[in-house]
Amino acid sequence: MTEILLAAAVLVLLTVLAGLWRVLRGPRRADRLMAAQLLCTGGIAALLLVAGASGSAAILDVALLLALLGAFTSVAFVMAARLIGR
Amino acid sequence: MNAGLLLDLLLALAVLGTAAWTLLARTAFAAVIGFVATGLLLTLVWVRLGAVDVALTEAAIGAGATGVIILYVVARLRGGEAEISAATPNPVQRILAALLALAVGGLLAWGVLNLPDPAPSLAEAALAGTAPLGLGNPVSAVLMAHRGLDTLLEAIVLVFAVLAVWSMAADHRWGGAPGPVFPRADHGPLSLLARILPPVGIVIGIYIAWVGTDAPGGKFQGGTILAAMWVLPWIAGLARPPSVTDWRLRLMIAIGPLTFLGVGLAGFLIADGFLAYPAGFAKPLILLIEAAMTLSVAAALACLIAGPPERRRRA
Repeated sequence: MTEILLAAAVLVLLTVLAGLWRVLRGPRRADRLMAAQLLCTGGIAALLLVAGASGSAAILDVALLLALLGAFTSVAFVMAARLIGR
Repeated sequence: MNAGLLLDLLLALAVLGTAAWTLLARTAFAAVIGFVATGLLLTLVWVRLGAVDVALTEAAIGAGATGVIILYVVARLRGGEAEISAATPNPVQRILAALLALAVGGLLAWGVLNLPDPAPSLAEAALAGTAPLGLGNPVSAVLMAHRGLDTLLEAIVLVFAVLAVWSMAADHRWGGAPGPVFPRADHGPLSLLARILPPVGIVIGIYIAWVGTDAPGGKFQGGTILAAMWVLPWIAGLARPPSVTDWRLRLMIAIGPLTFLGVGLAGFLIADGFLAYPAGFAKPLILLIEAAMTLSVAAALACLIAGPPERRRRA
């Protein structure tokens, strides 16, 4: 079971890394921002899978924290992009 | 192939890749996004290494504080090319810095690869010292008891960091509220998020700070979440920062280090010495310090994000 969960985490990470290509290439700031959000969401999924594989409840707290602050980061991105864009 | 090994390999490559890309990014905005992405992947790396406390800190500081602070720096440096180029080191300095970083990194890698097997470790001693304090998290035991002096000094550094930021204020603005004024957003996603997220986030922040004595978590992570939950309504224009001369704000920033110092000095009377805890009372005292420190970390980080006073004091 542990192996299956970790393999699923590898799959999630691979899809996220495909999204990372967008972060790196852009070309627009919005592309980068959306891909960074995808990275955050994928990171939460990978953390949950790793938490299931290792049986550690504390890892769930890390996922919770990322879920909370992921939305927060996007707000900061948007604000900064607006400040730069002016 | 072993799935865990594959995951670790993938993570290591991704972190190295994003780190290199961040250094080579052409625009500052892209570099910040690369930096945040690197931090996110590092969170996963810390979890895989079993350092969940560090992963929590990386997630909170990386996603909640550093990314935002650097983004503001980028946004506010626009148009300041002369200042930026004056502060940018010349190529020789950069090459020297790169060589120094390579040498330090190489020496560290060499040291780790040449560790005896099993590697020398204080983990056993730290674990043995955790239970007598009544704590369940050995990291908290090390931070608050065995190496309490380091943590006390870190707490005091936060106050000095706020002082350093505030001292950037122009004379005639001293006494005003810190940071820029954002237009009030009454409608739209930002306003919605700024109203809905903080109640949830404040509970999670207090939870992370509270759980720190028995599981990964603690004052820095919890305080960072609380600071982020204040920054959100501030950006939406729904909350106003207090004046830097407001005694309540100053008390909030100082209460954590003062409590820590007070309990530490009380150790001379009620225990074996400075920063020692009396037997049986360690956990309540540590929780008292952690609670005060959570408030101070939240206030100090919020002040660091907001920046120096930018408005005149209202007459």
